[in-house]
Amino acid sequence: MKPLVVERVVKHYGDKTAVNGLGFEVAEGEIYGLLGANGAGKTTTMRMVLGLILPDEGSIRYFGKPYSQEQLRMLGYLPEERGMYPKIKVSDQIIYLAQLRGMSRKDADANLKRWLEKFEISEYYNKKVEELSKGNQQKIQFIAAVIHRPRIVILDEAFSGLDPVNVELLKSTVKELRDQGTSILFSTHRMEHVEELCRNITILHRSNPVLQGSIKEIKSRFPQERVALAADRPIEGLERIPGVVSVARLENGSYDLRIREPETAQRILQHALSQGPIRRFELLEPTLNEIFIRTVGDRHE
Amino acid sequence: MNSMLTVMKFTIRNKLYSKSYIITTLIIALLMALGANAPYLIQKLTGNSEPTKVGYIEGQHSEITQGLADYFAGQEEPDVALVAIPPTGSEDSDIEALKQAIKEGKIKGYITFKENAEVGFPDVTYSSEKLLESSTSQALQGALQMVKTNIAVSDAKLTESQQKKLFAPVSLTSVQISLSEDEGTGKSVEEQATAIGLTYVIIILLFMAIMITGTMIATEITAEKSSRVMEILVTSVAPLKQMFGKIIGTFIAGLTQLVVLGAVLAANLSLPQNKDAFASFGIRLDSIDPLLLVFAVFFYLAGYFLFATLFAALGSMASRTEDMNQVVMPVSMLMLIGFYIAIYGLSNPDSPLVVVCSFVPFFAPFLMFLRIGLSDPLWWETTLSIVLLLATTGLLGWLSAKIYRTGILMYGKRPTIKELLKAMKAYKV
Repeated sequence: MKPLVVERVVKHYGDKTAVNGLGFEVAEGEIYGLLGANGAGKTTTMRMVLGLILPDEGSIRYFGKPYSQEQLRMLGYLPEERGMYPKIKVSDQIIYLAQLRGMSRKDADANLKRWLEKFEISEYYNKKVEELSKGNQQKIQFIAAVIHRPRIVILDEAFSGLDPVNVELLKSTVKELRDQGTSILFSTHRMEHVEELCRNITILHRSNPVLQGSIKEIKSRFPQERVALAADRPIEGLERIPGVVSVARLENGSYDLRIREPETAQRILQHALSQGPIRRFELLEPTLNEIFIRTVGDRHE
Repeated sequence: MNSMLTVMKFTIRNKLYSKSYIITTLIIALLMALGANAPYLIQKLTGNSEPTKVGYIEGQHSEITQGLADYFAGQEEPDVALVAIPPTGSEDSDIEALKQAIKEGKIKGYITFKENAEVGFPDVTYSSEKLLESSTSQALQGALQMVKTNIAVSDAKLTESQQKKLFAPVSLTSVQISLSEDEGTGKSVEEQATAIGLTYVIIILLFMAIMITGTMIATEITAEKSSRVMEILVTSVAPLKQMFGKIIGTFIAGLTQLVVLGAVLAANLSLPQNKDAFASFGIRLDSIDPLLLVFAVFFYLAGYFLFATLFAALGSMASRTEDMNQVVMPVSMLMLIGFYIAIYGLSNPDSPLVVVCSFVPFFAPFLMFLRIGLSDPLWWETTLSIVLLLATTGLLGWLSAKIYRTGILMYGKRPTIKELLKAMKAYKV
């Protein structure tokens, strides 16, 4: 029984369609990526999964059951725009939120202390949220989303506004949650995070799911069209090789080439070797970033 | 049910522990204690209950000084105590001795006598350092008058019954009679004054309590929305439970405040010295009808829930605290109108305006209470008003819950009614 199954959900706001026939499944211990430009329908989808709004068509099932008040307890939610009571102590509000999701006060307190220790911010237990730095507020927000040991967690832009050290810290925590069997619905604009964390993704564009599947499979659908090349001396005449679309010289002296088909890569290598020794040569598979821009960008026209 | 309790507890906890709540309660309690003791304090400050020590030369007009001493000794709380200063022989050195006694603090002032053959009673001079010691000189005046009458009467050799007749005070009491119907109020002037005063105080308290707690609820909901805590809250608790948890929690916090303040007031009013002080102002607390207090509590409850749900619904529509005042304005205006009609009604409780408006649910908490306090509404009038009030509270509670459910998820500019209806349809509430 999959923890979260979304089937062909449709949501209209008046005569506008916010989500049009989206369906996906999240397995136990899986992080599912939900990508899309601003206004593509990600937040609406998440709100439907959270039961805040009901889909007009289609269904959402949690461990095979439809939405009900009981499902709330196994959901955890980290909203995109962070929200906490600024003037209330960290301990008070986290315990409150945990209690609302059915935890006992004692349990919540013990759990909170463990999480604070894990994030090495135990000293904030009695501080008001407004006294904390933005990064630490975000950690508190994260704790609020997962303190009640939810089976399904929804993370909307989980790492935005964090410094690299804290991004790594939260990322490893998310991975831990995944390894413990939590199903995570993950939305972000940072494609490198998606590549690192997600097994399957959906790219939404203007309310429609335009690309779906496992990252590996999606990438194989896109041809390898990039070559990275670096040599000690400048290489002449690269743009004249047949099949090369564009050549860009980077600041560090290496080249970034676009090619029409993978076979061109060999001709580039031969051409370069004829002019001197090569430090680096690589035929790159497309990054998710490129795929995203191509998928979403193409349809702009 | 469980999570509603959690919301309630959290709301109450945050209220009770917040500095502003504690400080306001303390300040108002202090003001109330002062107010309750004010009549007594005024009395105390103007008239010192310690008798003023007044000196006289021993042996001079001993008949009069003895009479004065007897008179003051007979008083429960004498204003004046006489102190004898031994005579020195000459008049001038006597005065010196009296002045010396003032300097030493033995006396505050002294009396001297000057023969007045015409009246057959000496002219008395009261000398003291203070210019305006009217209470002492008034006390002396009264006492001397008494002494003089006594001397005159004893000179006239009247019989005891004649004396009794002479001194018996004239009795005059004013009673307000009621000519309206069979069950007229029949309240005495004092009872009426007390009723008006009490109604006035309770209406102001009702208005303030509902207004303050109502605005508090709206502010908090808007704050939760603008700080985006709301997004987490709505994914944890059903909005209805959340709204009513907050309303009831705030209510209990407000009630706690009222009870504390009420206890302070009652404790201060029941101090023995205050009873007399209030009585002297024509306010008799024991004439308060306990039924009136029951109605006060009832209208507080009903009015609170009627307006609180409205405030909650409107608060949910504002995205930012700055918009909040504008959004709740209609409800604030409604309350103000009711309040002003009530103030007008204090002097005209039977005017048609007040009677008609007392059936309008939004005004009923103030106006029906006013009518019950000051005039005699028929039983069906009271019942009808209460039924209408309760029905409206229920209906608006239901409607507010729907608006709240929708409003909390709408961000951006304040929605129009049309947008709100559209959103309500979209959210299927």
